[in-house]
Amino acid sequence: MSEIAEAVGDGVLPGRVWLYANYHCNLTCTYCLTESGPKVAKRELGAQRMLEVAAQARALGFTSLGVTGGEPFLLSYLTETIIEMAEMLPIVVLTNGTLFTRARLEEARGLTGAPVAIQISLDSADPVANDTMRGPENFRRVVAAIDALVARGVRVRIATTADHIDEHELERLCQLHRGLGVADEDHIVRPILRRGRAIDSGLGVDTDLIDLPPELTITADGAYWSPFGPTVHGGRLDTDLLVSRTTSPLDKPANILLRLVQGRARGDDAKLDIR
Amino acid sequence: MELLDARRAPLLARPFFEGGDPGAIVSAMAHVPEVLDATMPFLVQMFGPSALPARTKELVILRTSALLDCRYCIQSHSIAARDAGLAREEVLALRGDGPLGDQFTDRAERALLDWVDGVAGSTGPVPPEIGEALMSHFAEPDVIELTLLAGTTMMLNRFCTALGLPTSQAALARLAEDGLL
Repeated sequence: MSEIAEAVGDGVLPGRVWLYANYHCNLTCTYCLTESGPKVAKRELGAQRMLEVAAQARALGFTSLGVTGGEPFLLSYLTETIIEMAEMLPIVVLTNGTLFTRARLEEARGLTGAPVAIQISLDSADPVANDTMRGPENFRRVVAAIDALVARGVRVRIATTADHIDEHELERLCQLHRGLGVADEDHIVRPILRRGRAIDSGLGVDTDLIDLPPELTITADGAYWSPFGPTVHGGRLDTDLLVSRTTSPLDKPANILLRLVQGRARGDDAKLDIR
Repeated sequence: MELLDARRAPLLARPFFEGGDPGAIVSAMAHVPEVLDATMPFLVQMFGPSALPARTKELVILRTSALLDCRYCIQSHSIAARDAGLAREEVLALRGDGPLGDQFTDRAERALLDWVDGVAGSTGPVPPEIGEALMSHFAEPDVIELTLLAGTTMMLNRFCTALGLPTSQAALARLAEDGLL
């Protein structure tokens, strides 16, 4: 058993490895950590590299994968790649849910029954409030995508990112996702982090390293402490949570991450409940 | 070339920023934290206290830096050399601003400077008679360490020169005060 497998088994390291598939996006959300948008550099990992990371993650003893961006579904090869990755490890894919055209939905049939969850962002049960954060027509498209994916037997999770959410608003959201066939355990609510575009929008909470679970995150630029690490502000990539520029073979950044975790002072981890 | 500050220092690099500004070399290398993490213990061993006297080491470092014309290293190590007890005139001579022979009359130091000139001032083998002269004054482990020190200095000379690393304002002020700018 590798040292990494042991650390994952003992709960010292989280079991999930994240991959930043790309940085570009069709939306420009007000709190985006990576300042993603249609005109930013794509910085794709590429299908081959994603598959390599998945294989190496499994060999090292990691237990699941996450794919994020940017908007991963802008990549034409994404669905096919996810299906192949899911043969190695269970996977969650984060998406804004606005690109599920008829063709995409047909492709998504390949996800049915596979250990894949599509996590779609939906920030409010109020279309106007949601669209203020995420762009025009977002609510309508997202609700339609969730409905269509659930109908095709694809597991859907809903992620709500909010500065503040009151009980009434939360209840409205829960009624909405239940009505769409998404179970309570598949609805997560998380805070906005004051990184990336959220800084300029005056949104979010400040984070310390200790607040973030140490989930190995692979990008085109290097390996990071967490998927909340490779953020961009003012067009410049943040480096404060960079683990290493070396990402292959995966045991190099994984072992550095483990070393950092073991050297970290004990404390109240994950107090922000960031997932 | 951005020099990372403490706020943007990657995780492995953070310890190097805990005592304040770690200098341009660390701030540049921090972009590749795993390289910094591996390199710094080596550099600290090579440039820090060791079996060799500080004065002897600074002769090698400053002379090498002068031969490779590294502005950053010449300026930084003019100060280090003064702190190691070298006279201002000795520093100037090592930098090529005065005749070496007038300042360095000790045979061991002359043999060492000839060796450094052979290592860093030309390519190809160092002439055997220069090696023999060095060996008559220094033990074998010392020769190994002195030669590695010259080589390590050359690596940093090229790194600092190629990237145009800036000398700190504090160092420049100190050099001005000492008439070494």
